[in-house]
Amino acid sequence: MQRDFPFRNYFLFLFKYFTILYNDKLMRFSLKKAETKNDISLKSKKVLVIEDFFNFRLTMKNMLRSFGVLYIDDATDGEEAIHKMTIRRFDVVLCDYNLGQGKSGQQVLEEARYRNYINYSTVFIMVTAENTLEMIMGAAEHQPDDYLMKPFAKEVLEKKIRSLIQKKENFKEIDKAIAENSYALAINLCDDLIAKSPRNLSELLKLKGELLLKIGNYQEAYDFYEKVLLMGNVGWAELGRGKADLMLGNYLQAKVIFEGILAKNDKIMAAYDYLAQTLAKLEKHKEAQQVLMKATNISPRAIMRQKALGNLAYRNDDFSVAENSFKKAVEHGKYSCMRSPSDYTSLAKTLVHLDASEESLDVLNVALKEFPDSDEAKLHVSVTESYVYKKMNREEDARKAMAEANTIAESIAGGIPPEVELELAKTYIMMGEEEKGTKIIKRIVQCNYDREETIDIVKTVFKEVGREDNGQQFIDRAKDEIIALNNEGVALTQEGRIEEAIDYFEKAALHVPENKIINANAAQVLMLYMKEYGVNEEKIAKTKMYLDMVKKIDDHYKDLPMLQAMYNELVPG
Amino acid sequence: MNFSDILASTLHDTKNSLGILFNNLEDIIATCKEQKCPSHIEFYKLQYEIKRLNSSLIRLLSLYKADKSQLAINIDYHSISEFLDDVTTQHEILLDSRGIEMETQCDEELFWAFDRNLLTGVFDNVINNSFRYAKQKVRLSAFKENGYLVLRIEDDGVGYPSSMVFNERQHPDFKKETSFATGSTGLGIYFSLMVASQHKNREKCGFISIINGGKYGGGVFSIFLP
Repeated sequence: MQRDFPFRNYFLFLFKYFTILYNDKLMRFSLKKAETKNDISLKSKKVLVIEDFFNFRLTMKNMLRSFGVLYIDDATDGEEAIHKMTIRRFDVVLCDYNLGQGKSGQQVLEEARYRNYINYSTVFIMVTAENTLEMIMGAAEHQPDDYLMKPFAKEVLEKKIRSLIQKKENFKEIDKAIAENSYALAINLCDDLIAKSPRNLSELLKLKGELLLKIGNYQEAYDFYEKVLLMGNVGWAELGRGKADLMLGNYLQAKVIFEGILAKNDKIMAAYDYLAQTLAKLEKHKEAQQVLMKATNISPRAIMRQKALGNLAYRNDDFSVAENSFKKAVEHGKYSCMRSPSDYTSLAKTLVHLDASEESLDVLNVALKEFPDSDEAKLHVSVTESYVYKKMNREEDARKAMAEANTIAESIAGGIPPEVELELAKTYIMMGEEEKGTKIIKRIVQCNYDREETIDIVKTVFKEVGREDNGQQFIDRAKDEIIALNNEGVALTQEGRIEEAIDYFEKAALHVPENKIINANAAQVLMLYMKEYGVNEEKIAKTKMYLDMVKKIDDHYKDLPMLQAMYNELVPG
Repeated sequence: MNFSDILASTLHDTKNSLGILFNNLEDIIATCKEQKCPSHIEFYKLQYEIKRLNSSLIRLLSLYKADKSQLAINIDYHSISEFLDDVTTQHEILLDSRGIEMETQCDEELFWAFDRNLLTGVFDNVINNSFRYAKQKVRLSAFKENGYLVLRIEDDGVGYPSSMVFNERQHPDFKKETSFATGSTGLGIYFSLMVASQHKNREKCGFISIINGGKYGGGVFSIFLP
């Protein structure tokens, strides 16, 4: 503050003596300014400035005002920023990367995207005092639209905002399609724009690839990325092709790609994640753990990665690494929207293996305080508590905790995530209630046999109760059973015994209510019947129920558009 | 803590200070312009020096990382006209304050895959140089030639000293001469060579060329990217 005065005096002095001399140069400047003003108006744009330093905040707001922005709001920390974004949708967000205590700029970006406070047409600029390349760390999945390195001139900021708004103008329609889950339409819109090669061609190409992966068109995504790579070694395209390989099951090829990306740039954090996933698919869990350890060394704040590492290390019986990771997940997750009760329960379970049972119980107590209003958290904590007591040989307490878990589970029936239910099943088995436990596991396998992450957890459960060998057998048998069940229904349909098929699939759907294929087939036979014998209200209602269930289980299920079209044909309008 | 860590953290710290300095100056210039005070022209010179310092530090950091094989390359597919527009906005006010006009020539439909940060560093270095030597014109242009993208910066100054004129294709050993990497311009060219060589596509590798002449008879710097 003190230094302001001599400065001000200094240019007041200059001002007195040189005004007239330089007048012609001033004219030239104002002319130039006028030329750039006529593209887009910033008057109607709502801008949010997130910056903890008063001085920078003021500087940025002054800059914005100087080029005509009328609506400027500000926030001094991440919490306030998120709060302001819940109330109002901003067109432009300027966010400092380093916000001191609480959420970092990166976490603000992640949360805003996660909660859909910003979409593809929102301009998000990360302001940073450091070298841009280092900012990419821990951020590979969530990149801002641009980084702005301090120092920057106001002309640079203005230009950046204007060009980003203009560039993103063509994302508006795509945003709308995505918000309505019309991914095929969104891809078509991308194609139309790509054909015109606008300035944001790269972003459109990138988005198209992401959408193809999202709806599960892996082969098309693979071919698409191959084509992009013909134009040069574009980083995101290499990563995308690796992802497509991973999803297509070309694990060895995927491994080569991810390793290649990291050899060229060891800061592409997403490549570590996918490489670890690939190695796990290749049953190389120890190597996968090493990869994630390297990544968390570079960027310790990414909590999803810490969780993944914790789970891998736990699986590999490397409990001290698991402890460290889960502790970091808990610590850095404090202000993150990605945090979950399982961070605490995983830590508690790990601590038991390190003979720190008391600390383990403390962690569970903290979890209850951190998630006071969540039944799911209470269930998760009770199940884990029971596990911990069991390991401590406190049978009576273990039983009590389990009974409580049971009560909570019944009160929230239906909405329990499979991983929590599997914990419940595991603890049943450990407590000697074999039948109850395996029944839950069987249902989960039969509903989720195509979801590898769930099947992986099932495998871990079997390993933990000391029956790794039986696990695969159990899973295979459960899978075969459901496939046989489905095939029998399909056979009935093909033989034209359609009424029997309806009956059959309805029973099957009661048996495995969360299996999308059974639900889809139940809907389809009902519709086949109505095509043949006419529409009836009861059958329409049932069809709709099954279709809604499929949507709920997997919004991107590949046959869903076909089924929906069939339904629309029967029930026009 | 080893010396290179100390160096790196000091560099970051210095860059942050420069940031504050630059922004303060920006505010002063704004107030100054508002009050129709002509001295903002003088302040631009200060800003120019801050920018030069800043790009020197970035250059230093990048060269240090490249030397340690820690330089992360981030290739994306960019609109060239947009890239040149951005470069122009970064520099035009300062150049304008010296009466130098910038002009750009580039096909709007030209796209290429390259590391934008590194290329911005190259342009900053060369244009900062033009700020000193150009008389009235700095011209940026881009076009395709033999499967390479050519990015060119030329001016109407006296041109490069003959010791610096070269084309890497014709003098492949040139960059190995250590005496070359001395002085600010020399370091800038050394940096450009490093950036060019980091751009590889299939069997081809980027290179630079420095000649005198061109459209305005001054220095002509070109970087070729495969």
